[in-house]
Amino acid sequence: MLLAAAGAIAHGQSGSPEIYAIQNATIHTASGPIISSGTIVVRNGLIESVGSGADVPAGAWTIDGKGLHVYPGLIDALSRWGLPPAADAPASRPAAAPTAARRGGGGDDSPSNVQFQDDGGPEERPSNTSWLKAADLVQPNDPALTAARNAGFTTAVVFPPTGIFAGQGSALNLGGGRAGDMVVSSPVGQFLSLSVRGFTSFPGSLLGSIAYVRQVYLDAAHYKSAKAMYTQNPRGLQRPAYDRALEGVLESPRLLLPASRKVEIDRMIRFGRELKNPFVLYGGSEAWRAADSLKAAGVPLLINLKWPERDRESDPDVVDSLRTLEIRENAPAGPAALAKAGVRFAFYSGGVERPADIRRAVKRAVDAGLANDDALRAMTLDAARIYGLDDRLGSLEPGKIANLFVTDGDWLAEKTAVKMVFVDGKKFEPAAGGQTNGPA
Amino acid sequence: MRVLGLLVAVAAFAADDSFVLRNVTIHPVTSASIPNGTLVVTDGKIAAFGARVAAPKSAKVIDGKGQHVYPGLIDSASNIGMAEVSSVRETSDLVELGDFNPQLRAVVAINPSSDHIPVTRGNGITTSLIYPGGGIIGGQAALVHLDGWTWEEMAIERNVTMQMRMPTLTTGTFSSTFGAGRRPFAETKRRYEERLKLLSDFFEQARAYQRRKAAGGAGFVLDRRLDAMLPILEGKASLMIFAPRERAVKDALAFGAKENVKIVLAGVREAGAAVKEIAEKRIPVILGETLELPLEEDSPYDSAFTLPAELHKAGVTFAFGTFSVQFARNLPFQAANAVAFGLPYEEALRAVTINAAKIWGVDSRIGSIEAGKWADLILTDGDPLEARSQVKQMWIQGRPVSLETRHTKLYDQFGKRPN
Repeated sequence: MLLAAAGAIAHGQSGSPEIYAIQNATIHTASGPIISSGTIVVRNGLIESVGSGADVPAGAWTIDGKGLHVYPGLIDALSRWGLPPAADAPASRPAAAPTAARRGGGGDDSPSNVQFQDDGGPEERPSNTSWLKAADLVQPNDPALTAARNAGFTTAVVFPPTGIFAGQGSALNLGGGRAGDMVVSSPVGQFLSLSVRGFTSFPGSLLGSIAYVRQVYLDAAHYKSAKAMYTQNPRGLQRPAYDRALEGVLESPRLLLPASRKVEIDRMIRFGRELKNPFVLYGGSEAWRAADSLKAAGVPLLINLKWPERDRESDPDVVDSLRTLEIRENAPAGPAALAKAGVRFAFYSGGVERPADIRRAVKRAVDAGLANDDALRAMTLDAARIYGLDDRLGSLEPGKIANLFVTDGDWLAEKTAVKMVFVDGKKFEPAAGGQTNGPA
Repeated sequence: MRVLGLLVAVAAFAADDSFVLRNVTIHPVTSASIPNGTLVVTDGKIAAFGARVAAPKSAKVIDGKGQHVYPGLIDSASNIGMAEVSSVRETSDLVELGDFNPQLRAVVAINPSSDHIPVTRGNGITTSLIYPGGGIIGGQAALVHLDGWTWEEMAIERNVTMQMRMPTLTTGTFSSTFGAGRRPFAETKRRYEERLKLLSDFFEQARAYQRRKAAGGAGFVLDRRLDAMLPILEGKASLMIFAPRERAVKDALAFGAKENVKIVLAGVREAGAAVKEIAEKRIPVILGETLELPLEEDSPYDSAFTLPAELHKAGVTFAFGTFSVQFARNLPFQAANAVAFGLPYEEALRAVTINAAKIWGVDSRIGSIEAGKWADLILTDGDPLEARSQVKQMWIQGRPVSLETRHTKLYDQFGKRPN
């Protein structure tokens, strides 16, 4: 009742109040113990104070949080939300003439409109759009962003999807508005995929792809030193040719390497080290087997929340192999094994299409032994840590960005509803019918 | 070579297809082996054999001391002579486009000069069933001798069976562009059902044609395609249905029953629960390569090796086929592998001799050493299923056949190289 009233009043106002105080709520800070009846104050997009005895400033819009739970906003650690739908055709296909820029201003260099020649060797930089940045591609009015926010997500680390060097990720807050306002940090990493595309163009095999990535990193190291030398003293030196693919690689603070099976995890740990760049693995369907490897290497893992399952379109008479069944059975137990071993990991939406289904997927990991607060951290603070953003995101602590969501029960319980979501201190209320309210 | 020279010298005194083989262990296959026996061939046929047999006085005599004589081996499925180098299109006359081509005859496409023929003979194979491929009904298969200047000379039965491929339900796909993939089940099932419908429609068309032909009259027009189906519909010829997996085997059995036609199952790689029905209906089976990977990741590693023994235990009559051109020479080893995994030796030998002859309805002529049968014989220094044994001489209808092959020629040629 009170919430409805608050919402109604908030709608009646012309602007958004700058100060909110949620009182008497159960506050899950993610960085410290749960505060059973506390107050959290949000001012100018930042968290001002959190605690059982926090003062409510004068002029704050107060919300009675009795019976409500406050959590840090969820982070999708590897996301496609907000990007134009990926074309099915390989990105290497020559595209039609560039279309008029859809985002207003600037040329359209979305993956499907980038042309490159990939019949040659690594020097042609096939399947490489390393310079693309999700921050430049995001469409703030993509309905997927609203759906995610309604499910409690406040941040998504979005990566361009296509190619071996797909491009650079950006941490985006899901508050809508202008694309620039959404960006928390960019670039945060380079997304690599090693999926084999068939035999029509180089590289057409896993071994070719790995050799190609290796060469690009060697070229990038040389490019960097040649540029530095030239900048210092251009006289008498031939200038190094500009290479946008290498620029993109050098600009990325870390790389994301694909690793689902144990053998892939071990291989990518070795490969990542060889590339002499900070790296993070993603995938992790066989993580339950790889906790020791990951712990020994100190490499974090992003875990796909699309747990392996039987393809609905598969032949009903065909029995899956034991190997497949084993992974299907054990994949949700991976996070618990990693938590036990002390491996840092975060969750990502992966193939889960509806954001509302993501909590259900997390629940499966909890049912398989993961502690509830570890699950929360894997979707908040640890995701922020993996990207070096825990100084501003991921927990309810004074000074951090005011990204949080409010529920009427435990966040993983089936019947729990998300009542409010704050992004950059702006309040959103998911409407009952799955529709969304704009900024209150 | 020396032996052949001797034969040519002797030939002046006797007919080319009559001789006496002495001091030899005879393995008739259909009866007990005879050590130190004598075998008499007259006019290309086996006249007599046994421990004590009177030899005609004028006959040329061959001493088989320490050696063994067996009936020539029969490959119940191959493409020898229809394709020479499979990757060179000009040398391949094997596959036609379209789903239904019963009018095509493999026999006319066989190249009697194929280099694969002598190579295959080298391992003791005297007879091969040669089938065409492609579509659902690929055409008429022929049973031929692996010797002759022309296909007419080679042919034992010009039209011994009709090759057919059961439409299968497989979701796995492979393309050179996208590699291995999967098609959705619903779509696959729809395509499969469409193809089954095509097949059933084709049989209906053939039956309508049969009635028109019987009625005769001025309006009747000969249709070679449908006409070729008549022996099948009349039960005079069999359909050799390729059905690799249990599901296809069941479909093939159901199809044979529904259309009321004689069938032979071919290329079966798993029989599963269908094995009982195969045995009960006395459907013959042509088994393929025994040295194969299991069909499924979790299948027993030896599932391909043990399939022949499994069928034998269930009481199924089967023969081996190589389904190959260049590997047709491996036929005896296919049978030998099955012996190592539970098939009684005698059954393995029968599967490449008399059982094959029975399945193809030619057991009055070939498949064993019996009086009155053609003298399709091999003289060996040991068990022909054993890889180390050598075939020393071969006769087809009593005629000596050269065992010189492309391999032996190359061996001789490069053996002469100084260093």
